[in-house]
Amino acid sequence: MANPMKIRAASKDGVTEVKVLMSHEMETGQRKDSSGNLVPAHFITELTATWNGKTVLEAQFGPAVSKNPYLAFKFKGGAKGDKVVVSWKDNKGDSRTDEAAIA
Amino acid sequence: MSRFSKSLLALALAGLAGSVSAFDNYKGLGRPATEAEIKAWDIDVRPDFKGLPKGAGSVDLGAEVFEARCASCHGSFGESNEVFTPLVGGTTQDDIKTGRVQSLRDGSAPQRTTLMKVATISTLFDYINRAMPWTEPKSLKPNEVYGILAYLLHLAEIVPADFELSDRNIAEVQKRMPNRNGMTTDHGMWPGKGLGNGGKPDVKNVACMRHCKKEVQLVSSLPDYAADAHGNLAEQNREVGQARGKVTGAKSEAKAAEPLSESARLSQLANTSGCMACHGVNGKIVGPGFNEVMAKYKGQAEAETQLAHKVKAGGAGVWGSVPMPPHPQLSDADAAALVKWILSGAPAK
Ligand code: HEC
Ligand code: HEC
Repeated sequence: MANPMKIRAASKDGVTEVKVLMSHEMETGQRKDSSGNLVPAHFITELTATWNGKTVLEAQFGPAVSKNPYLAFKFKGGAKGDKVVVSWKDNKGDSRTDEAAIA
Repeated sequence: MSRFSKSLLALALAGLAGSVSAFDNYKGLGRPATEAEIKAWDIDVRPDFKGLPKGAGSVDLGAEVFEARCASCHGSFGESNEVFTPLVGGTTQDDIKTGRVQSLRDGSAPQRTTLMKVATISTLFDYINRAMPWTEPKSLKPNEVYGILAYLLHLAEIVPADFELSDRNIAEVQKRMPNRNGMTTDHGMWPGKGLGNGGKPDVKNVACMRHCKKEVQLVSSLPDYAADAHGNLAEQNREVGQARGKVTGAKSEAKAAEPLSESARLSQLANTSGCMACHGVNGKIVGPGFNEVMAKYKGQAEAETQLAHKVKAGGAGVWGSVPMPPHPQLSDADAAALVKWILSGAPAK
């Protein structure tokens, strides 16, 4: 299973900023290893973020995103203590969900 | 030993003993450093933790201070923005066991992070304590440095989330540093016997004792027309130490005696105020190139006041997520003049 994401969420003036650091290989499928074989593609395809159960961000990722992707976004609303949950799925069917409380 | 180095040695001894006597040879010259001066200067922390201040800081405290004081340049998770190399990443639980970072050898991490490279935790403490935040070095309290370090170690999964790092447990944490066994001493950078190759230097320069050349013979030099390709070298060298740049370029030589024009004064002010560390006249460094700033605001009357305010107050978001730090030390007049100068093409003369 993949390593946990690091998530920080902070609200200020009615807007919550969420920062996420994912841990993922993000292999494009175009790279060759030292013996010349293609390294199979392995990348995040979908990402969702919810605030208290309501979806605030949906994104489609592809092979152009770097290894260990960093994502930051803002949404209106959110109060101290509310829960922000981020999940991703990758092209091999692996997935990961992590959460953080808004500071 | 030269007289000079003898007096330096005496100075160091005088510092240690806090005495006055070493200055007897040089009546009327200088004075011994005071204890307070030595204390302010002698802040290094060594691998055996000599010099480490007492204190403690938790991961939570560190997370808070890091977000406020460091994240703008190094990123909330030490992952860094597009300008600086990351502080955290590329280390594994296995590395913590072996003390050698695998990704340094197989190149599997996209960039070399600080925690991949550093062998001694004391070095990190020392560096942050002495040099960071970049724009306000030495402004952190010891407990904040402990906390920040605990936070960085937690991001790298070296310590748990509820950890408190202190002068008492830092030696234990050293035993978990991912690259603690990665430092090599088997090369000439390490002088003295007992370290690797016995301290054989990698450069050899033997004094000539027989049939030596009597005078220096130049065999090649830059033609005059190329000598000032990088501007006047004399102006680009620091005024301390032995090396002086050669005066290159006939024009700057001739003008050296004249009083400074306003543009030249502003160009100097931009240098001494640190602007040129982040801005190129003709291109981006950390912040936008002054040519880009000019292109963006040309012909906008209100821009000047707004920009002058921003230079003093700092800010982000116009050119990207990297912020410009505030410059409260600039006077309003200087800030306004600098902006005018930038918008007129930042001429050197
Ligand atoms: C204004 C931008 C800025 C801020 C704010 C800042 N730094 Fe830095 N930091 C830098 C730069 C630039 C370097 C590289 C300096 C050099 O190489 O001379 C650096 C280097 C470092 C390094 C060494 C990296 C390496 O591998 O060599 C550490 C550790 C570090 N910073 C920690 C911190 C901490 C902790 C804070 C907050 C207390 C902080 N920085 C705040 C800009 C910043
Ligand atoms: C630590 C790096 C740093 C230093 C030092 C620095 N700047 Fe900046 N500067 C930046 C960055 C980054 C930006 C882009 C900010 C943004 O995107 O809003 C910027 C933007 C600017 C802008 C354009 C602002 C805008 O809103 O378009 C001006 C003008 C400027 N700087 C002038 C100066 C002057 C004058 C100084 C010296 C007193 C200086 N800077 C020192 C990093 C720096």
